[in-house]
Amino acid sequence: MTHAVLCEDLWKTYQRHRPLGVKTLLLGADTPRDTRFAREWALAEVGFQVPRGRSFGVIGANGSGKTTLLSILLGTVQEDRGRVNLNGRVASLLELGAGFHGDLTGRENVFLYGSILGMRLAEIRRRFENIAEFSELEGAIEQPLRTYSAGMIARLGFSTIIHSPADILLIDEVLAVGDASFQDKCHRALREFRARSGTLVIVSHNLKEVTEVCDEGICLDLGRVVDTGPMTGVAARYQERVAATDPAKVKGGAHGQR
Amino acid sequence: MVDARQTLELLYLLVKKELKVRYKNKFLGYVWALANPFAFAFVYWIAFKFIMRLEIENYSLYLITGMFPWVWLSASMVAGTRSFVANASLIKKAPLPRAILPLGNVVQEMVHFAFALPVIIAFLWFAGEIRPSAPWIWQVPLLLALQLAFVYPLALGLALANVYVRDIEYLVGIGLSLMFFATPMVYPITMVPEAYRRYFELNPLHGLMQSWRSVFLQSTLDFNHMAYTAACAAVTGVIAWLLYRKLARRVGELV
Repeated sequence: MTHAVLCEDLWKTYQRHRPLGVKTLLLGADTPRDTRFAREWALAEVGFQVPRGRSFGVIGANGSGKTTLLSILLGTVQEDRGRVNLNGRVASLLELGAGFHGDLTGRENVFLYGSILGMRLAEIRRRFENIAEFSELEGAIEQPLRTYSAGMIARLGFSTIIHSPADILLIDEVLAVGDASFQDKCHRALREFRARSGTLVIVSHNLKEVTEVCDEGICLDLGRVVDTGPMTGVAARYQERVAATDPAKVKGGAHGQR
Repeated sequence: MVDARQTLELLYLLVKKELKVRYKNKFLGYVWALANPFAFAFVYWIAFKFIMRLEIENYSLYLITGMFPWVWLSASMVAGTRSFVANASLIKKAPLPRAILPLGNVVQEMVHFAFALPVIIAFLWFAGEIRPSAPWIWQVPLLLALQLAFVYPLALGLALANVYVRDIEYLVGIGLSLMFFATPMVYPITMVPEAYRRYFELNPLHGLMQSWRSVFLQSTLDFNHMAYTAACAAVTGVIAWLLYRKLARRVGELV
């Protein structure tokens, strides 16, 4: 079976400088460097493969490079070294509703968002009924988005993206959409997506959910892959490591925010 | 893997979004879009004609025919320069062709200008007894295309530069104020002392604005002016394209 996502020896560094301003030009950068997160590489030697139709999880502490990795896969951030290869159309759930506008109705936002995701108008028109039905917004779809609750916006965003004809979905921490019943629906939709041999790459802190959804995965630490293999094992070992460094975190943070 | 049709559709939807937001209340939205250039023109008319008592022939017509294209130009330069920074979430989270964002701003302001054309024509008719003339049918679209071709590369280049040096957006505002008087917009270039006039004429905006005036007031096009502006547009186009190729890849991590 051919791969859907392939990363080989990926390196990425963010330059230290902030965007220049007139102040810096005139006065020079006299502020002391913030070295708290200073490290040379945001990603180093990252490599993995995801076969078509599989679901791949990426876990790790805050700042370990997960979002950078997804951004590189999506193409909004450029890698410094290495090779990225994606087979098929990519759509991202990096941020639900990036590109939504409050003054447009739900319907208009579906068209705009769909177009931003790379869909043609004809495609969106063909799928619109399904999108509206999936979002359970009923008549509200003709109302301006600013009248929506956060949950409604998230539902509309998820519905649009799941109906886009993507072969690969990149998801960053946005599975907690809507109420419990809608979440079940999302998970069902993602299973169906995979059944159509769609490929998922998921970044999440919710270890329970990641182990449920993903077959395999990696754990990142300071930009390096520290663990790889079946998701259950990777998640369990990650939890052990967190527990070893800070016993308090096991109860509170690492178990996910469900 | 660029899908030209899909990109055009995205441009259409982005422009439509901006128009819809601007014209939320259909009639008042239209009035507001017209109010700005009219108010500008009125203020300068009062200041130059009424207070300073300059003798300029057909001064109100001179002001109005320049002011509307100028507002298109300046509004799209200001919005275009901010387009990458203002749409940071889109740039970071969606793999859309980034060059489309400033283009959306320029096209949107062009549509506002086109919407205002009937009002300009009516003003010329009532205030100057200039009847609509047949050559406008090809002259106006030609100038629309020329101004679009001139403004878009500038907006794209400035949008890129603004990602790297954030203060560009303020400099653009100041630069436009200077150009407003250097082009010139509120007095004819014949009032500039002859020794300096040729420096004023080096400004490609002068030829562009002068073309709009001669189309509306005399139904003629000065092809020298147009050729000069077009040549400048070609040069900035090449520069903007090179900048885009070199700089656009890092925009995602800098906005």
